[in-house]
Order: sequence, then structure tokens, then C-alpha cells
Amino acid sequence: MASSTLLRSTLPRTFASATGRNVLRSALQGTDELNLAYSSLISRSKARASSTAQYVPGGPIIKGTVNDPVEFPPPSRTHGSYHWAFERLLAASLVPMTAAAFVTSGSSYPVFDGLLGLSLVMHSHIGFDSMIVDYVHKRKFPILGPILSWTLRTATVGVLVGVYQFNTNDIGLTELIAKVWTA
Amino acid sequence: MMSARVGLSSVTRRVAFAPIIGRNQIALRTVIPKRGVQIQSLPSSASEEILNAQRLKRPSSPHFTIYQPQLTWLSSIANRATGGALSALLYGFSLAYLVAPGTFDSAHIVEFVAGLPDYVKYTGKIILAAPFTFHFWNGLRHLSWDTGKFLSLKGAYRAGYAVLGATAVSTVALVLM
Amino acid sequence: MQVLAKTARASALRSCMRSFASAALEKPVLNKEFKIYRWNPDEPAKKPTLQSYTIDLNQTGPMVLDALIKIKNEVDPTLTFRRSCREGICGSCAMNIDGQNTLACLCRIDRNPAKNSKIYPLPHMYIVKDLVPDLTLFYKQYKSIKPYLQNDNLPEQGEYLQTQEDRKKLDGLYECILCACCSTSCPSYWWNQDEYLGPATLMQAYRWIADSRDSYGAQRKEQLQNEMSMYRCHTIFNCARTCPKGLNPAEAIAKIKLELAAD
Repeated sequence: MASSTLLRSTLPRTFASATGRNVLRSALQGTDELNLAYSSLISRSKARASSTAQYVPGGPIIKGTVNDPVEFPPPSRTHGSYHWAFERLLAASLVPMTAAAFVTSGSSYPVFDGLLGLSLVMHSHIGFDSMIVDYVHKRKFPILGPILSWTLRTATVGVLVGVYQFNTNDIGLTELIAKVWTA
Repeated sequence: MMSARVGLSSVTRRVAFAPIIGRNQIALRTVIPKRGVQIQSLPSSASEEILNAQRLKRPSSPHFTIYQPQLTWLSSIANRATGGALSALLYGFSLAYLVAPGTFDSAHIVEFVAGLPDYVKYTGKIILAAPFTFHFWNGLRHLSWDTGKFLSLKGAYRAGYAVLGATAVSTVALVLM
Repeated sequence: MQVLAKTARASALRSCMRSFASAALEKPVLNKEFKIYRWNPDEPAKKPTLQSYTIDLNQTGPMVLDALIKIKNEVDPTLTFRRSCREGICGSCAMNIDGQNTLACLCRIDRNPAKNSKIYPLPHMYIVKDLVPDLTLFYKQYKSIKPYLQNDNLPEQGEYLQTQEDRKKLDGLYECILCACCSTSCPSYWWNQDEYLGPATLMQAYRWIADSRDSYGAQRKEQLQNEMSMYRCHTIFNCARTCPKGLNPAEAIAKIKLELAAD
């Protein structure tokens, strides 16, 4: 196994052509001795690194050679500029919405209260989600990351239902805040 | 240079030494005892394995524990912390109401808060108002960056101090409300 | 007679200068402690430590790099760090000095002897030895944004031309020396450097997006349309704060974001 990984990085690209197979096989046999000698040489310092040197995201082992550029994930505007722009527009709209909700909170048509509740929950969800991406991304935490992501999603759905019920069956978020503040 | 970087230097030095022994074999054999080290030539691809073996042992240098406290990153992490705390409150309350609407309805909450002593009320108000106002003003700072304003270092710092001032003033105002 | 007087005056002047010179040599001792991060790959099991060195600042040049070179020359030849130009143009001696990333050659020594000076390598990097971080990934990231002119329409003759206004857009971008101070000061880069490109690389990405002679702007922008490569930037501004060349990567990234949103 060690020899094959070694070969892959040594052979020039021209060898990888269809006719290169025989060359590859003979080269493999030829280098076996070298590899044996080599592994005995460095076995003192916990060698056989090829089997242990696995790429771990964020770890010291780097994908590809020193001369390969890093690769980009497939482009997706939903995760890129659309997400960014939506996040900013939502955050900006919270300012007038909060004002409107508090002005109209006592009235019998608390439309803005409901809108504010929905927007606040979305704003919070995006914020929590970016924390998960920053600190416990699934590429580094393959178990914890998805667990947290799905916990957040279910919690957000639950919160949306809870806010809806509180706004319809009870007095609504803004009025609650106003009342608690002056209680 | 490459060999020095991947730790082959000792090997190459040995190789360079070999012909000298060869040249003066008779003279040297009496002086220097024969070296017991076998010389092996390595394929150039071996460098990657040696390098990876070294990489696995490398420590990661310290970061936020040694980095100078600066308005830049402190206001940023404070923005996230305050936002997270306020959102956690929203999530906590909404889920609590969803699970037990009889306990967490507005009448009970207002009644509970009204029964608290004044100093607890004021402390609670500060604990709620300060994060909210900070997140609000700093959110505006972020939005103005995103529309291309205050993007110079000086502008970012001025806006930062303005946020701190506005937070203090509006926290006091909200608490006194 | 006149000649004699002249030589007498000259010798008096000379002795006077000599006494000046000796007075200048007898500067008071100004000892300062430097605490420097050490880790030796030959003893990998030993944890990294801070090693203390005390040197006389009056026998040292004004910059932190002078102090490091003095320590290496006179106290401890095993101390390892990168340096080359000693004038802030090569970017080799980037390190964390008293909590800030900067170039040792551009950073004056704080002459207060009561306070020690702490010198660490660039933060959150894998350490090759002492103050030398592994910058392989940083360079691989730089390479990924294709930091060179791409244009399929060769000018009919001569070179690509550019108006003075268009050229001005590159000021504050092209001066970057890739010392990695900004990227390694960025908390987002600390947590996600395997996917997030970091301020230095992103500012160079913008340098080529903003170049009127480059015709691959759309492709360059499209590469950044994902969750990690650029949008891990939360406009923290550590990059602009720490840049030893006074550049502003935060502003460049904000401009890329605006351009992507307008697309």
C-alpha cells in the first residue's frame, strides 16, 4: 500500500496514459526494495506514515502536494450571496418592524407583532446556524455537528409554533415585553 | 534546501561524506573506526512521508489566549454573545410556552415579575437592556459596513466607540423607562 | 610656527572627539526581558515553552528583529525564526509580538525595562520550529485564486492599457507582501482555515476582480459563491488593525460581498 501511494506522487503525469500501465507495474516492482529499505530506515521514528497520515479537516496533514492550489466547493448562490443578502435585509428590516410592532401592539390588529415574531426567530436561527458552521461544522464534528444542526431546526419549528400560539392565544410578544418592563 | 526542509539533511550529509572515506580508505581506516550506518538512497517521493510524519507532531501555536484585547474582535464576539443570549431567551420562552402554556402565560409572568423586589427588577432590566442595545447598535455598525460605510480602520474604530457610548446611554434610558 | 599651531589644534580636536566617542560607548545598561516561544521538532514530546532572554537594549538595534538577531548571535544560536530583508518588504519575519501580529523588522522595541516582551509565532498555525509556522496552506490558498492576469483578448499591439482611475482602484491592494499577519489574526481563519481563504488571499482575490485588464471577474466571483470560502468573514477587522503595511483587507472583502450581492 505504501508503494502505491508513493508511486502516485512520483510518476510524472505522462505515465498515467493508457500505455503507462506496464511501466507502472515494473516501476512498482522496482521500487519495492527501495521502500523496504526506506521503511526500515525510518521505522525508528514511528514510520509507515502513509497509513497514519490521513487528511483530517483542520489537521496538520494537507490535501495534495505543496504546489496544488486548494479547491473550492461547488458554487451555490443560495449558500453564498443570496444567503448573505437575505440575512442583511432581514436584520435591517427588524429595526422599523420593532418600532411598528410596539406602536401597534395595543391595537386589535397586531399584524406587526406576528411579523416581528417570525423575523426575530429567523434572525436567531441564522445566527445560531452561523455559530454551528463556525465552531462545530460537520466536516470537523461529523456526529455533533449534524446533531446540533437538526436540534436547531426542530427547535426553530417549535419556537415558531410557540410564538404563533402566544401571539394568537395570549397577548403577543411586544405587549408582554411592555408589560413586564413596567410591572 | 528542500532536503533540509523535509529532514533529509543528515542523510545527504552522510552521502556527501562517503566519497571522502573512499578516497583515503587506507589512511582513514586506521584512524576512524568503520561507520556502522548503512547508506540508503531514497526515492524523492519519500520526502512527503517524512514531511507528514513531522507534520503530525507539530503543535498549534496559541491564539486568542495571547492575542491583544482589541475593540475589533472583542466587539465582534460580544455581538455574537449578546445575540446568542437574547435568542436563547426567545427560544427558551417560546418553547416553554409551547410545552406549558398554562404556566408561562403573560398573566403569570407579569404577576411574577411584579412580585419581585425593586433591586432585582432593576438588575434584571440592566441584564436585558445592555445586551439588547449593544446588539442593536453594533448590528447597525455591521449593516453600515455591509453597505460600504465606515470601512476604514479609523471609521471602524469611531463607529465602535460610538456603539459603546450609545449602548451606555440607551441602556440607562431603557432601565429608567 | 603657524604649522605647529595648526597641528596642535588638530590633535586637541582629535582627543576631544575621542573622549566624545568613549562617552557614547559607555551608555548605561538597559536590560529588558524577552520571552520567546520555543518548540524543537527534534524533541517533539516536549511541550512548547516560553524561554526568557535578557539583553541590553543600549547594545541592540531599535527593532524587535535586531533583538532576535542579537539573541541568536550572542546568547542562543538554536533560536529559530525567519528573516530576510529587515525592511518590511519580504514579509518573512511576521510573528506575534506583545499580542499583535506584525513584522519584527518594523516593530520598535518597547524600551520600558519593567515590562517584558512576549514573542509568539503567528497564532493558530502549525509550528515547524520556534517562531517558524508552516505556511503551506496559506500559499496553496493564494494559488487557488489565480493571482495573475487572465484575459483571452490580447491587445492588438503592445500591452493592456488602463485608465488612471482604473489603476487607482488597485492602490492599497497590490502592496500586500503576503506576510500572513492578517490571516492569522482572524478568528474565523483560526477556526476554519482549511476552508475559509482568509483576509490576505481574499484581498488578492479582490485585487484581480477589481483589475480592469482582467476579463475573468465573473469566474473569480463565482468561485467565492459558497458558505465557506469567503462568507466566513464576519467583518471583525482584526486584519486591518494588524496589517504592518497599513492595508485594509476587511474593506476589500466587504467590497467583494457587495459586488456578489449586486450580481
